[in-house]
Amino acid sequence: MEVKGIVIIAGNYGSGKTETSVNLALHGKKAGLAVSIVDLDLVNPYFRTREARDVLTRQGINVVLPDEKYMHADLPILSPKVAGIIKNSSDLTILDAGGDDVGVTVLAALADSMAEHTVQMLQVVNPYRPFTETVEGCLKIKEEIEISSKLKVTGWVSNANLIDDTTPQDIYRGYDLVQALALKTGIPVEFITASTELMDGLDLSRFDCPVLPIERKLAPPWRRSRQ
Amino acid sequence: MAKVLMKGNEAIGEAAIRAGCLNYFAYPITPQSEVAEYLAKRLPEAGGTFVQGESEVAVGYMIFGAAACGERVMTTSSSPGVSLMSEAISYIAGARCPAVFVNIMRGGPGLGGILPSQGDYFQATKGGGHGDYHMLVMAPDGVQEAVEMTMQAFPLAEKYRGPVMIMGDGMIGQMMEPVEFPEDLYVPPTNKDEWATNGMDTRKSDTKNIVKSLYLDPTVLNDHNLLLKSQYDRMKEEEVRFENYNTDGDYQALIVSYGTMSRVCKTAIDEMKAQGLEIGMVRPKTLFPFPEKAIHDAASKPGCKVVVSIEMSMGQMVEDVERVVKGKTPVQWYGQCGGEVPTPQKVMEHIQSLLNS
Repeated sequence: MEVKGIVIIAGNYGSGKTETSVNLALHGKKAGLAVSIVDLDLVNPYFRTREARDVLTRQGINVVLPDEKYMHADLPILSPKVAGIIKNSSDLTILDAGGDDVGVTVLAALADSMAEHTVQMLQVVNPYRPFTETVEGCLKIKEEIEISSKLKVTGWVSNANLIDDTTPQDIYRGYDLVQALALKTGIPVEFITASTELMDGLDLSRFDCPVLPIERKLAPPWRRSRQ
Repeated sequence: MAKVLMKGNEAIGEAAIRAGCLNYFAYPITPQSEVAEYLAKRLPEAGGTFVQGESEVAVGYMIFGAAACGERVMTTSSSPGVSLMSEAISYIAGARCPAVFVNIMRGGPGLGGILPSQGDYFQATKGGGHGDYHMLVMAPDGVQEAVEMTMQAFPLAEKYRGPVMIMGDGMIGQMMEPVEFPEDLYVPPTNKDEWATNGMDTRKSDTKNIVKSLYLDPTVLNDHNLLLKSQYDRMKEEEVRFENYNTDGDYQALIVSYGTMSRVCKTAIDEMKAQGLEIGMVRPKTLFPFPEKAIHDAASKPGCKVVVSIEMSMGQMVEDVERVVKGKTPVQWYGQCGGEVPTPQKVMEHIQSLLNS
């Protein structure tokens, strides 16, 4: 998988942007890249990149978070560090945005910093989430995201899952949905995701794109002690 | 219907629509705002109405108004917002109108924080508003149960003619789980003629409904309160819900825990079992009516040395646990509040240290 440069992970609320971002960062690091990950989710204080901070930092990934004292606030604070990270980007710099159009509004404020760079914006799609079951639903979100962020979506990512209830069929359904989106928009499928436990059961010959294995890093508290 | 992946907040919104609730009024507050966001999108599609009130006080009375008209109606909020609605809840209970209130609890008191808490147990079960009233209070431990309880809440509110509360917390509201919406949980309204105002029609009929909570005659007010009490007594007979966990065999300690905290306790119980230590749990699904007999009986089992009420509060439910255990077994509290959910590890260490002391 060859995802490099500045990569914005966007998508509808709850599509799995953070889980995708965190796993993409770890994957890039394993491939030998210098990786930074920026928590840009100014919308929702729960289940954010910051919860995976320790895992990421231990692997040598540069994690950019809001200041400690504002960590648990639901305030739209954009750390001044973010613009600096974009100007001096790593081999792979991941910007984990918030959900829907409101979640990417902050990107418009970073437009000046990003102007000199090639920026990819990937839209994450999970067909099991409300409002993105269909091509039309995903395209509506795409349009809203593009208007708010003043950027264009450059790639599709399927993150089809029902958490523990996911089957290979669900992964195929997600793949088919992003393929249909690619056909309709001319925008390529960048990759799809699948939980590591499902990888062995998947018919990889069915896919024309890479598969990012996902190891769940954001779990509710009763799951954490088992990790 | 096939499974979908939803946040607790979104699932509560969808469940309300599936239960035939087409009136939703709310004011945004973290960590429940997704209910309003979801229903702002979905309710118009379903032919319903969402109004964002100018405050939670206003919302409380919008709920009263819609309920008085015989409409299924819901609001959702989080702790500070529920405090503001408490006056209206008391009026709604006094006027015997059915309505559904959802509290996705956050840390308190005051503005507190925005992370999960269970600090509103007293507020929900012992009043909050003034006067001798109770709400039927249900506490889901996950997204699927939140769906089921929300769907059940509307017919229950009509059966007892009063406010019903769903008590979640920030974790239940924010976490995602695969869910289904069981169609058989939809129960159509049958008795709204008992209370609903229906405009000009009532002037022509002999029986008209007047929605009020004002009773100046002391004898009449006493009778009114006795009627309310009879409804709460009937809830205690017919609506107590709970889950027993690992209580079939013997156990050295009994945990009483609900909602998010009970999920953590289940993990801890499973891990202690793997290490050869048996711990039982009773999980109240209804906080009012409280599962008095279930907890009393489980606490009285020979071999059970201690009962621990584990809560994300500084010790609220523990008072009810003490009340129903009636001194049969020593009762203790363990918990944490402020937003950090105690880990299974912490629960295990606490139980083990209690049993070793």
